[in-house]
Amino acid sequence: MSDIKVFAGLGRTAMEVLQALIPLIIALLLTPRFIELPQGFLSKTLKGLLFTFIGLTLLLHGINVGFFPVGQLMGEIIGSQDNRWIAIPIGALLGFVAAIAEPGLRVLGSQVEEASSGAVRQNVILYTVAIGVGVIVGLGMARIIYGIPLLYIVIPGYVLLIILLRFTESSFSAIAFDSGAVVTGPMVVTFILSLGVGIATAMENRDPVTDGFGTIALVALAPILSVMLLGQIYKNKD
Amino acid sequence: MSAVVPIMTVVIVLQLTLVKTPPAVIGQFLVGAVFVFVGLFFFLYGVNLGLLPMGHLIGTELPTKGSIVFFVLVSFILGVAVTVADPDVMVLANQVATVSDGEISRLVLILVVACGMGFFVAVAMLRIVLGVPIQYLLAGGYGLLLILALFAPPSYIPISFDSGAVATGPLIVPFVLSLGLGTASVLQGRSPLKDGFGLMGLASLGPILAVMLLGVIYA
Repeated sequence: MSDIKVFAGLGRTAMEVLQALIPLIIALLLTPRFIELPQGFLSKTLKGLLFTFIGLTLLLHGINVGFFPVGQLMGEIIGSQDNRWIAIPIGALLGFVAAIAEPGLRVLGSQVEEASSGAVRQNVILYTVAIGVGVIVGLGMARIIYGIPLLYIVIPGYVLLIILLRFTESSFSAIAFDSGAVVTGPMVVTFILSLGVGIATAMENRDPVTDGFGTIALVALAPILSVMLLGQIYKNKD
Repeated sequence: MSAVVPIMTVVIVLQLTLVKTPPAVIGQFLVGAVFVFVGLFFFLYGVNLGLLPMGHLIGTELPTKGSIVFFVLVSFILGVAVTVADPDVMVLANQVATVSDGEISRLVLILVVACGMGFFVAVAMLRIVLGVPIQYLLAGGYGLLLILALFAPPSYIPISFDSGAVATGPLIVPFVLSLGLGTASVLQGRSPLKDGFGLMGLASLGPILAVMLLGVIYA
């Protein structure tokens, strides 16, 4: 128990977050040249950026020290068991809960709720995306275990996507594609990638890099489909 | 609270039943979960106070200042600026340098990905102003993606998809989202719900297409 890491690497993460924030800080400081800012806007926004910096640093640090090692080890344990199919329900469950914890998705959900004046709740978006991620991670695990080629899942997925695009309202299509982009954030990518890499490492004849990364390509597709399906439900409500 | 508890519960239940990892690893996980819990709280508080109002303000003011050229140019610059500084893009640049045996330098890749992002942010913002249906742009973008995927060397394909995920980091998402929502909220005949979304979806296509294009050119 003595070798548990608590703060190791925190400084480096902080520097990375700071670096990513710099252009946004510059943009903020330049805006008064073009736009008349409301009273107190600058100080309030800077305070917000400071909290964002602290929060994102802690969040990414927690993912690095806690979620990455446990994901990989769980993957290795599951991959070396006799009943490997167990990885399918476990993967689905972990995909679902990891998506719920994804920070960007909460922001997207809250923006949808606000823009729709509460007609589409944040949690509806959150759980719809999470269900999509859960299903696809389960499929992704089945793919690794049984050696199903990635294209066998990706091609039907894209065909379904094109069909759904024809029947979905533009607002839901836009939100769907945003969800797909947003869900591949630090939590889902790190956790699901480490799980996939762990399983592929424990099994023979599997390439951890190809198999692990393929799962992330699938994860980006899933919420697009599930949110467009959600759009059909809202269409029927009207 | 509701964000981190489900994943903690699942990991702990698995630990007690099917997947028994050593106690040290579970200890490590719990330490990490505490950081994520506190971090997510501060992050969301900060985003609501800072990035969202800032993106929204720039988005609402941009169409009223000067010409459409200025509007497109600023959108492009903002897209480039937020991507260039992202640490994940640096990691990606190293990966690409490896697959291409150093033929594609890190600097080239970072610039190409950032310009891809900037281009699509500008296109997506312009779409809101002109009222172009998002389906056309998405269909066009994905069609182009499929064509490029046929010609790009196989080793570039997974990396290109990765670059799409890279360019949608947790800082870029709130800023770019609120930028589009801001613009859609001030223009006549546009509504945030109908026209404001889709920026991230389109923007993430930019880096994917840019990296594939690099692969086609260098192959």
